[in-house]
Amino acid sequence: MKRSRQALRVAVLTYVGLLIGLPLFFVFQQTFAHGWSALGQALNEPQMDAAIVLSIKVALLAVPLNVIFGVGTSLWIVRHPSRFTAVLDRLIDIPLAISPIIVGLVLMLAYGQNGWFGKTFAAWGWSIMFSYPGIVIASIFVSLPLVSRQVIPLLREVGTHAEETAATLGAGPVRIFFTITLRSITWATAYGVTLTLARVIGEYGAVLVVSGNIALVTQTLTLNIGANFDNFSNFQGFVGASVLALTSIIILSMLSIARHRERKRHEYLA
Amino acid sequence: MSIWLKNISKSFGSDLVLDDITQEIPQGSLTALLGPSGSGKSTLLRIIAGLEQADSGRVELNGRDVTSVAIRDRHIGFCFQDYAPFNQLNVFENIAYGLKVQKLPKAQIRREVDDLLALVRLEGFADRYPRQLSGGQRQRMALARALAVKPEVLLLDEPFAALDAQVGAEMREWVRSLQHQLGITTILVTHNQSEAMEMADQLIILNGGKVEQSGKPADVYEAPANPFVLSFLGPLTTLNGVSLRPHNIEFCEVGQGSKVQVVDVLHLGFEVRVTVTNQDNDRTWVQLTHDEARKKNLQVGETAAIRQRSNS
Repeated sequence: MKRSRQALRVAVLTYVGLLIGLPLFFVFQQTFAHGWSALGQALNEPQMDAAIVLSIKVALLAVPLNVIFGVGTSLWIVRHPSRFTAVLDRLIDIPLAISPIIVGLVLMLAYGQNGWFGKTFAAWGWSIMFSYPGIVIASIFVSLPLVSRQVIPLLREVGTHAEETAATLGAGPVRIFFTITLRSITWATAYGVTLTLARVIGEYGAVLVVSGNIALVTQTLTLNIGANFDNFSNFQGFVGASVLALTSIIILSMLSIARHRERKRHEYLA
Repeated sequence: MSIWLKNISKSFGSDLVLDDITQEIPQGSLTALLGPSGSGKSTLLRIIAGLEQADSGRVELNGRDVTSVAIRDRHIGFCFQDYAPFNQLNVFENIAYGLKVQKLPKAQIRREVDDLLALVRLEGFADRYPRQLSGGQRQRMALARALAVKPEVLLLDEPFAALDAQVGAEMREWVRSLQHQLGITTILVTHNQSEAMEMADQLIILNGGKVEQSGKPADVYEAPANPFVLSFLGPLTTLNGVSLRPHNIEFCEVGQGSKVQVVDVLHLGFEVRVTVTNQDNDRTWVQLTHDEARKKNLQVGETAAIRQRSNS
């Protein structure tokens, strides 16, 4: 019994190590392979810095929009169920099932210069594709269900009794939303935000199609990393990859610390 | 504050849950809405609170028609079966919630919450979170939270169903004495007839969305209006094809009653349950007091005779 558990442990560690640990180690190892001054130079490379700034800008708009949409649709689906919301509930998952490259192509069809909506926007002087709005739309599309998939089960679990009680105590809908509803889904939402953030800054395929991948203009960090490897600037690519990996690790650690704190606050007194 | 329910009907889809309910709940009384599950009692309570809208009919509080008044303006305290604690807020903040809505000064909120904590015997628990409380403590917190806004009516939905038997019995007694002390008109929803009998000044017995009978517990018990009330309000057995209460049967000399054979004797403390069968193998159970049973000293397998008590 004990031996089989140990064998399982070794097997799992080997599997995870080979798939995640080793490549991640390799990325960081390559990043520091040429010493600090080379690293400093690579970090100051203008194309990569522009790409980092663009990725941050995209995340700053896409993540909040996704949170508002995600929490809103979750409330709608759970609290006002109908045939329409049942369809919506299933539609939300589509972005997870479609390959990102297809998402990019579909957005191109819709919002490109000759696209169904794109023509209208172009007539107003707005260009969606090959620019910031297009990248944001693609990012929102691919991360659409990540908040609501966290929030919906929790909303179902907490039920409506606390909200109804607040109403009998004289609270209006806005106060109830902020003091009761939102506070009960805070951590699920935070987890959804983390997943969305990770997906948005990590997205490659859909953004590649809609952005045009123009260095210094519409190149996000992931696209910049890809471009560097394509141009045989492997070291620059590894530095970018390290920045991206480090960001993800920081985001995940922040969440796990926050979760731990919250759990501690609610622990039973012995 | 008295409550008048006038011709209230409610359907969910094609399912008629409440069918033309008209009822008065007297001021200061503790009234139990008693019925089996699916009888519509919780829906009726939610309609009184404004958490649900009736399809037709009116709710009047002290002569004021509140049918279309919003929940928050009805001045009603509502306690759910699960106590609906605000889990992210501590006990103090839970109880203070309604007072903060009224934007009372901080010092006054603190004073009133402290008084309420004393009233529900939760002094020293102000900083705890609901998950750190026992079921009974959580219920008292929910009551204090509801009472904080000085409601004119208190509505309790199956308040003791989630508690274990002993705590439930203590809470029943405590809630009843609190209600007497405050004199607040209270409606209690329950499916438990002994709970209703024990606590209420008035019973309203619901079945299939209709009021079967209402009145004082003793009156309803003594004079049930129909077979449903008879069977719902207490134990029943049959003797020679007639339904009656098992404590309305007595053992007598053989020859003066129906001849039976004792098949089981259960000692439950004050109560003793004797099961007997007649020659057709029809079972009857008889409820005796401990003293009566000791005098008879009935043994399993013994032949005896039973009859309906003459005073019933």
